[in-house]
Amino acid sequence: MPLENEAVRHRPTLVVGLVGAAAPLALAVVGQSEPGPAMLAAAAVAALGWVLSGRPPSPAAVASPVPPAAPPSDPMPYAAIVEELEDPVMVVEAGTPGEAAGRRLVFANAAARTLFRIQRQDARLITAIRNPQVIELVDEALIGGISGHGAFEAGGAHDRVWTAAAQPLAAGAGGPPLALLVLRDQTDLRRAERMRADFLANASHELRTPLASLTGFIETLRGPARDDAGAREKFLGIMQTQAERMARLIDDLMSLSRIELNEHIAPQGRVDLAMAVTDVADALTPVIRGRGVSIDWAPPERGAATVEGDRDQIIQVIQNLIDNAVKYSPRDGVVRVEVSAPAGGDPPAIRDPDAAGLTLLAPDHRPGERYALLRISDFGPGLARDALPRLTERFYRVEGQKSGDRSGTGLGLAIVKHIVNRHRGGISVESAEGRGATFSVWLPLATADRTTDPEAVVKPS
Amino acid sequence: MNEHIVRSYEEELNQLAAEVVRMGGLAEAQVNDSIQAFAKRDVPLAQAMIGRDGKLDAMEADIERAAIRMIALRQPMANDLRRTMSAMKIAMNLERCGDLAKNIGKRTLILAEAEPAGPVTRSIERMGRLVASRLKEVIDAYTASEVDRAVSVWARDTEVDEHYESLFRELLTYMMGDPRTITAGAHLLFVAKNLERIGDHATNIAEIVHFEITGQEILSERPKLDTLTP
Repeated sequence: MPLENEAVRHRPTLVVGLVGAAAPLALAVVGQSEPGPAMLAAAAVAALGWVLSGRPPSPAAVASPVPPAAPPSDPMPYAAIVEELEDPVMVVEAGTPGEAAGRRLVFANAAARTLFRIQRQDARLITAIRNPQVIELVDEALIGGISGHGAFEAGGAHDRVWTAAAQPLAAGAGGPPLALLVLRDQTDLRRAERMRADFLANASHELRTPLASLTGFIETLRGPARDDAGAREKFLGIMQTQAERMARLIDDLMSLSRIELNEHIAPQGRVDLAMAVTDVADALTPVIRGRGVSIDWAPPERGAATVEGDRDQIIQVIQNLIDNAVKYSPRDGVVRVEVSAPAGGDPPAIRDPDAAGLTLLAPDHRPGERYALLRISDFGPGLARDALPRLTERFYRVEGQKSGDRSGTGLGLAIVKHIVNRHRGGISVESAEGRGATFSVWLPLATADRTTDPEAVVKPS
Repeated sequence: MNEHIVRSYEEELNQLAAEVVRMGGLAEAQVNDSIQAFAKRDVPLAQAMIGRDGKLDAMEADIERAAIRMIALRQPMANDLRRTMSAMKIAMNLERCGDLAKNIGKRTLILAEAEPAGPVTRSIERMGRLVASRLKEVIDAYTASEVDRAVSVWARDTEVDEHYESLFRELLTYMMGDPRTITAGAHLLFVAKNLERIGDHATNIAEIVHFEITGQEILSERPKLDTLTP
């Protein structure tokens, strides 16, 4: 088993600790079953291959009341294997019969403890999972001895989809019935399905407009305007603009789908937000000058706003937001960019008392987390209050935009939202009509002693 | 948490809270199912979720009975009294959420017979997901006894109102565009209103959780968007 070897080679101290921690588990789970680690091995196999479903409890396991030999002398550290599995694995004890809320978790592996923030031994199952379907599956396994599968959604900002499998575990003589509950993440699969449907609906519609105009001009050029040099020149210019628009649209769609595929993978690396803003402002100078807009930017001290993140994606967020602000600024206008840290996880207070504010994305609440705040303000026409909730919708454009101005793809803010969600940050907007708009993005600060280190989370209680 | 001398008393309080969480799980599932059935025009799912509503009513009755029994037999004081009372009050709010979800299910059955409404449906679905996530957040806060999490749900109540306001205008435009859509539009308006009220119940629960843990009411008026101004 390569998994176990990996664990032993890379993290020897951790594995020793886990075997220690898993001793009570061995007592609880394998209790009176005869070859101590065999049951755990079965659990591991079940978790890995889901092959256990439907397997009746072995009579031999029930018969033997031999107390378990303390640490398994078997060369395979099964407890550590179950502990280290990526899929959440839990063992549930029936507790008082007839009280569905009384089920307790006698074991939860590292993945399950992190996912459901289980802090103590013997926590109630209901405090970890309250989805009625899963509760029913566990009940069927505990009382009816039937194994079963089901799917459920976890909800929250990171909308995860899980399949759950519950199956009865052979309990020791006289011991309470046990059930094994294994979850498996199906988010990517489900997301891919939904993305395909969305893509087809929206993209085909958006691509059809420039395509229709291209076809129209081609027909005209082949027919009535065949010998008109002036018209030809003019039409070819329009056709080029339309073709470029299609290319931009496809670029944005592809980058959006790339970001979405990684949305549930936490970004690696650190980015100084202030330096990133300076870089983007420098790169955009020609565009900004061309529109006669200036940027008001006073960077904070170096390193004060270092966030955890993927540099390219953070740059894309800043670029899209500054781009938008410049686009909606009047000639000789100013775009103000501010970076401050540390900030809390709630949206910043609204500065203009007449402005409407809305949180477009809020990170899941994590106590003690500090954030860096990026605010980008323009002083253009602003946004109507009822446009705010729809801003991050794909292909949404604010009504009343002149058709000539529609150089954007309608995907910029959707891209920003997905990137910030991946970085576990938040976005809010405030705007008063006629007085401009401010977009705020907050991202978790990088710290030296991050507790996202898996070894820190896994620490046994 | 200070331990009680009579062990089973503490156990009973915990059991009561666990029952409320279980009911919360069911209410959440009902709300989620109603939104999904609505968005996907899934008639069998809508029928199934309507049929499950009775279970929530039964659970509310059970929790109320257990809480009254607790008050009668144990005469809880201070913190314990607040825990007992909040279990009862949260169960009441959850039961209302279930009723509103059931109503969405019923309207889904009617809407499934009409033409699909297009983009408005997606706006309502988005609002539904926001409301569902707030309900989840507040039940999480209750489960883990986290005051600041409850307060953050409470403070963000206007978000749902903003969505509702935006939807209201969108629906008016939709109905004005084609009078034949008025029947469907009226049902859609009620679906949005029901979601908005589920959001209000989530905010109520946040207030109850705050009171249960701190013994004080959340000060200051709740941020409220005036949705009736033209």
